[in-house]
Parts: sequence; structure tokens; C-alpha cells
Amino acid sequence: MAKSEAKELFKEFKIQSVSEFFRRNAAMLGYTGKVRSLTTIIHEAVTNALDACEEAGILPYVRVEIEELGKEHYKIIVEDNGPGIPEKFITHVFGKMLAGTKAHRNIQSRGQQGIGISGAVMFAQMTSGKATRVITSTGDDVTLEAWVMIDVDKNEGKVVRKIRHKNREGWRGTRIEMEVKDVRYIRSKQGPYWYLKLTAIANPHAHIELIEPDGKLIVFPRGSEEIPDPPEEMKPHPRGVITDDIFRMAKKTRRNSIKRFLVGEFSRISDQKVDEIVRYMAALRLIKSVEEDKKREQLYERLANGDVKLILKGFGKRGKAVLRETSKIMEKPPEKLTWHEAEEIIEAFKYIKFLAPPTSGLRPIGDENIERGLVNILSPEFVTSLTRPPKVYRGGIPFQVEVGLAFGGNLTGFDILRYANRVPLLFDAGSCVTTSAVKSVEWKRYKVDNLEDAPLVVFVNVISVHVPYTSTGKQSIASESEIYEEIRLALMEAGRRLKRYLSGKHKKLHQVKRRKTLEKYVNEVAQALSILIEKPPEEIRTHFVNLIERRFEEAAQSEGGA
Amino acid sequence: MIKKEKPKERFSYDPKKIVKKLEEIGNQIYEAVREGRNPYIDVPTRGISNIYYDKKSKLIKMGKQTSRRYFLHVAHARKFMQTLLIASYIKRLVSEGKHASLREAYYANKHSIGGSKENTFEDQSESNPIIEDLERTLGVLREEMHITADRRGYIYGDITIQDGEDEFNTSRLGMGGWAVPGTVEHLKFTQINVDYALVVETAAMADRLIEEKFPKKQNALIIATQGQASRGVRRLIHRLHYEEGLPIIVFTDGDPYGWYIYSTIKQGSINLAYLSDKLATPGAKFVGMTMDDIKRYGLERVTEKLKGVPPNKKGGPTADYKRILEEMEYPWFQNKEWQRQFKLALKLGVRIEQQALAHKSLEFVAKEYLPEKIANEELLP
Repeated sequence: MAKSEAKELFKEFKIQSVSEFFRRNAAMLGYTGKVRSLTTIIHEAVTNALDACEEAGILPYVRVEIEELGKEHYKIIVEDNGPGIPEKFITHVFGKMLAGTKAHRNIQSRGQQGIGISGAVMFAQMTSGKATRVITSTGDDVTLEAWVMIDVDKNEGKVVRKIRHKNREGWRGTRIEMEVKDVRYIRSKQGPYWYLKLTAIANPHAHIELIEPDGKLIVFPRGSEEIPDPPEEMKPHPRGVITDDIFRMAKKTRRNSIKRFLVGEFSRISDQKVDEIVRYMAALRLIKSVEEDKKREQLYERLANGDVKLILKGFGKRGKAVLRETSKIMEKPPEKLTWHEAEEIIEAFKYIKFLAPPTSGLRPIGDENIERGLVNILSPEFVTSLTRPPKVYRGGIPFQVEVGLAFGGNLTGFDILRYANRVPLLFDAGSCVTTSAVKSVEWKRYKVDNLEDAPLVVFVNVISVHVPYTSTGKQSIASESEIYEEIRLALMEAGRRLKRYLSGKHKKLHQVKRRKTLEKYVNEVAQALSILIEKPPEEIRTHFVNLIERRFEEAAQSEGGA
Repeated sequence: MIKKEKPKERFSYDPKKIVKKLEEIGNQIYEAVREGRNPYIDVPTRGISNIYYDKKSKLIKMGKQTSRRYFLHVAHARKFMQTLLIASYIKRLVSEGKHASLREAYYANKHSIGGSKENTFEDQSESNPIIEDLERTLGVLREEMHITADRRGYIYGDITIQDGEDEFNTSRLGMGGWAVPGTVEHLKFTQINVDYALVVETAAMADRLIEEKFPKKQNALIIATQGQASRGVRRLIHRLHYEEGLPIIVFTDGDPYGWYIYSTIKQGSINLAYLSDKLATPGAKFVGMTMDDIKRYGLERVTEKLKGVPPNKKGGPTADYKRILEEMEYPWFQNKEWQRQFKLALKLGVRIEQQALAHKSLEFVAKEYLPEKIANEELLP
């Protein structure tokens, strides 16, 4: 069964042609700095494992082992119980730049660029010169041991050595071993430990283990048996794409005309919308030809107001001719679409009103799972979380915000745990919209007086098909005002819950203390009163105990009603 | 001539009354708890805000403010417990006919509270106020509750006192007289053969008068307060005046401290305002020392300078001067005679001690000064 799942999955693989990409863009891909490079490698491997398990419906078990071989020289081993990799896909998974199951799919996923694990293979190869050892089985009778390298000129993965073993125990999963240099293991908030801890919180269905270089085993146990639904593939929304996307997609589609391509592969584009696109493209061509600046500006303004038909009329015969030209584009086969035409379509998209995109493709972690994750890994005293309804930013890109608060218990200080599509963000916290939104909340209102010293952990996950990162390093989210507002609103609601909890707790503690104070004196009072009124102290004592009991019952009831 | 007057009060000591009052408080609390109500004790408020001078009775009195001490109140519960503890202790003392000092009352009731690190009383400063609270609540003296005050002061003169099984004449106990105990409630005066009582501030002066046979010659009872009069002495003075009709004449130093002793005997003190009815003797009169005595008896050379800075000097008034100015404001000193004394003292800037009279001769005070002044009723109100 696992085998068929795997085959299904890997059918999606398509090869993209970008070569030597990594060598030039190592920094951009997260391979900058000794600590960060190590974290990135582990991130890529763990992400692959979790994604594969999720898509195959397997509860993930991920084990990360870091062995110190010398100064800034490590062996990294990542093993999972995922679906395994069929032999013919090994070079694709580990060897191709921009090859992957998701780069060309419009899907909310942990990684987005499709460089993924092949980047890690590349990094290992560049720093240590060693091939990456892959041991994998889809659960059939063969376990494959392969050494993978990347042919930098040809942009191809090569299996330099391959051994087939009998898989007697029916093992299924993938184990990757790579040797890297120029990296450093530190137990800091940018290191693998912190990364895995945050990953465990956001993925309570995963069991994650880490063996640190000194041999210490750290276990982040599974907190939930619920495998999240794999994200649905969503057709891109016209507002969410750039020229390159359309150009690239047009080259790959099987549709036979550009019109069919647009209607079929984008959301919210109908036949009528294509006619509208044609009119706008024509209008834009015509407006560009106007020489007088002032007049041109006026026309752009009118176009933005939707006066497209009147504008075309205004150009008379020429207008009709241009309209015919742009209509013809739509009849061409998609692979004939030129870069310039793609640009024109994108420009037209900007003037046309589209329905907001469907949000069904967004997959939040969910309140319950966030709470499970926080409780399981952090052992706080109080936890709450909430998922806001989906919203759009930049007029068309759907996104959704989830937040969680953990307070007290084993927590010792304040932390912000930032996530984008469940992936922990460890770097560039200062420029991230999450950080600024968290800081903008007036925590004092929610009984958190001194934020920096409070035993409070703020969890924020921003979910989107297209998360607006500030840079290609993908470690901080841009300050889109809609996202900023959503995070704030979510945190304020969670803050109100925290406040309710804290004030209730104070009240309760206070009541317990009061009761104890009174009970303490009952014996003394009963004894003294028994001398004064010459009645047995036990009888008096009973009356006093009942009095206190009744008084606190009333207090508890009036509190419960409030 | 100063003579005995008609008695206005009668011997009223009755231990059963105290016990009854304590039981009433206990029953009221018990009833409340049984009915599920929050029990409380009403305690008259302490402090200057609840004190006033009653012109009619000429006493410093306690006002009507009370504060309610609840059991079901975290801030009150401990004091509530302490009050009941002391109340039950007093009931036992009184019913058993025993007396205890403040310190003994503290130790007798101090123990740890089960299940906590707390003690019922941590310090005597916690138990003393509770006893005062009970005095005010019950309207009885601490002495009536068999809690004794420090003893100080003695008497000498031809009176016979019955103290339990003992009966004695205080002029036959030697030159030292009879020391006044902390509690005088239970004393009975079986025979009074004196015309008045002379209250003397210093023991030295009292001894002088006894040696000169003043009590016998003048038919007087000497009461030595030895400084500020103790509660026992004040209660004794009160009882002698109201129960036996003895006129009270006070003889102190001519200084603010002496005048304050007189003030306390006569009108009561602010601390014990709630007990003025039983401790103060508004009918007392003052024989000396006065400022006029200095000139009249030629004592100018044996005066002492007042301490402190006069009101018209920089930084003044302080010490004695300040005290005099305060006393001038007391409602019961609002009369010509006393205002004249205070003004003279401020003007002359001096004080005059009782023993300065020895400047004339040792016998002078007993043979001339006091007999003359008392016979002529040259007394201040």
C-alpha cells in the first residue's frame, strides 16, 4: 500500500531547468553562517520527512542525530518512518535544483522553493566533498542504500554508488546521512534544538528525537494521534501571481489555448472574465501609445474606474483593431505565449476586479492541536489558542492567522514562537510582522505587567499559499497591514482569555487563603467560647465550621454566576 | 475648714456582674453562629477622635463610636479570636478569685495555633490592647476584671481598711505607710478618721510630712503618688472622695509635669478616657506649688529655669514652654486662676519644686505652708 502511495506522490515530480543556482545563491537559500547552515540542513530534511508522512497519512517519527567528527565538522543523520522513496526518484529528490513535488504546485506547504533537501546535499558536497548516503525503503522487500552527489554543470543528481539489501524486517522509511563542514552546533535559539522544539509544538502529531553531539538524547513526544489533512492544491488567484508564474505555467499546461489555460488553471477566471481581460489588454496597449502625459494619466485613471468600454470606443477604428489583436492572443496555444504577453495579462489583472480566492486550501494547525503542542512540549499552567477566519492581503492572496498563548507552569520567560505554514522562523525576528504585532499589543491590559519577564509564550502561525517573506531567506514575514491586523486581533482575543484565567486564579487563590485564615482560628475560638458559655467545644466548633463552609459556598456560587 | 462631705457613690464591687457581662457577649456570638450569621463584637473606638470633654461632669469621656469586630473577616478574625481568649481567661480569673498582671495574662494565653506557625499572641503589645478593648466594651476597669496594674504609691493616715481577711489602720504600719496595690476594687474602708486626703507628688515630701506628724496634727490622709498617679491610686482617690466624702487636695511641684499630674487625677487622661467615670475625681482641688508662692514665701533664689525655648525666641516653643502652652488650652483649665498661673510661669520662665520649701526650714511646709493655705482654703480649682 505504502508503495502505491509513494508512486502516486512521485508522479508529480517534474524537472525544472535552473543550473548552478545553488552555488550562486547559497546565502539566499539559508546557507549563511555556521549555526544557521546546520539548522537549514536539518530543517530541509525534517520538512521533507513531515511532508511525506502527512501526504501518505502516516504518523511521523523523526529522529535527528548530530555527530561531531572534528572542529566544525559534523555528521548529520535524519531518519523517518515515511513512505520511502522509489529508486527511480532518488536522483530527482536529492539531486535536482528546483525539483520537487511542490515547486510547481500552488499549495500551502512547509517549503516553497523546491530547493529543499537537494540544497543540503549540495552544501554537504561543497564543504566536505562527501556524497550523501540515503537508505530508503517503501516497505517492500528491498532496502536501497545509495550515495548521491550533484553534477553541478548538468544540474543533475548522480547516484555514485548503489547497494540493494533484502528488507527482511519490512522496514519502511528514509535515512539520510550527510557529512558537513563549516557549521557549528550550539544550543541557541537559532540552533537545531530550538528549531526541533518549535517544530514539535506546531506538529503535535509528530514524535521527534534529537541526539546532540555530546550524546544527549532529547525527546519531543507525540501529543496527538491526529494526522493533519494534506493541504489541497489550489488554483492560483490572478492577483497572487507574477509574470514568471504565468509564463512558466503556460509552458507546462496541456490546455490547447491561452483562453482555456487561463480559465482552467486559475481560480476566479471565467469565459466572461477572459473577454474582460482582452478588453483591458487592448485598452492598456492603446493608452501606452498616447504621447501626451496628462491625457495618458487621465486614461489610466478612467481605466481604474472601470471605463474600459468607453475608452475603447474613444479610440474608434484603432480601438477595434487592437481589440482584435488581443483577442487573437487568447486563441494561441499556451506554449506560444511570449514574456511580453504574459506581462500584459498580469497588468490587466491589476485593473480587473476578481472575486476573492477560495480559502479551502488553507490548512490551519487548529486550536486543539496548537494547545496540545504547547502543553506537550512546554508544560505551561494555562494555554489557549484560536484560529482566525481566512482573510486576503494585497487584494487577493488568502491567508489565515493562528495564535496560541502559554502561561506559567514550567515557563520561565517571555518568547515569541513564529511560524509560517507551520515552519518555525528562527532568524530575522526584528523585521518580522509577527514580532511587531506581538509587541504592539498592550499586554498590561491582560494582566501581564512586565512582558519581558513574564512566563509567557506567544505562538503565531501565518498560513498562506504565498507568505510574503521580507527576503529570500524566508525567515521573516513582511509587514502587510492586513496580516499585522489579523495577528493583533487574534492576540487580543487570546489575551482576554488569559486575563480571565489570571483574574479567576487570583480570586480563587485569595479565597483559599481567606478560608485557611479563618479555619486556623476555629479551634481557639471554640475553646474560648466554650468557657464563656459553658457548652461543649465540639458543638461550637461544628457551628463555626458550618458557618465558614456556607460562606465560601455562597462566594463560589456568586462567582460562578458572574 | 475642709471637712468630709456626704458620699455620692457606694461600694459597688461585684464579680458576678463581670462574669455575667462576659457570658452575654459569648451567648450573643454563639446565637449568631448557630443561625448562620457572621458573629461580631462591638468595641468602642480607641483614639483621640472618640474622646471629648464633658463640661457637665467635668470629665474627659469616650464618645459613642464603636468598631465592629467580625469573625468572617480576614482582617478581624485574629483579633476576634484574641478577644474571646482573653474574655474566657478573665471569666476564669474572676470566678476563681485570682488576680493576674498584664504580663501574666499575656503568658497564660500565649500558645501556638494548631496547624500553623502562628501564636495566639506574639507579644505583650498584642494582649494589652485586647484587655483595654474589653475594659471599654464591658465598661469595667481592668482591676475589676482581676487584671492588676503596676503598683506605685502609698498612703499614711488614720483610716482602717479591710483587705480580704486583713484589717489594718494605715497610720500604724510604720513611717513607710501602706503601699497601694494594683487593684483596690475589693478594699473596704471600715473607719475613716481624717478630714481630707492630701495627694503628694513626691515620696520625699510625703515622708517629710509624715515625719513632722502632719497627718496626725492636721487630721489628714497622705497619699503619695510617686510621680504620675497609678491606676490603683487614682481609683483609691476616686473611691475615697465619692464613697467616703473625703475632700481631695493635691500638692505637686509648680511645673507643667506637676500640673499634669493634677489634671489626670481631676479629669482623667486621654488614654483612659473610657474609665474617667471610675478613675477621675473632678472635685479635687490644688494647693501648690503655685507661681504666686515664689514671691509670697521669698523663694526667688530657689527656683529653677524652665527647660526649652520660650515661644518668643527662635525655634520656640519647646519642652516646658510648649507643655505649658498646651495645658493652657485644656478645657478644664479655662479659668482665671489657672490661666494666671500659666502666664506667670511663662513670664518668669521658672519652675518651683515642693522641696524648695525646705529653703525656709524643714518644718516649714508641715507647720506653716500647708496648714495655713488649707485652713484659709487658698486652693486652686
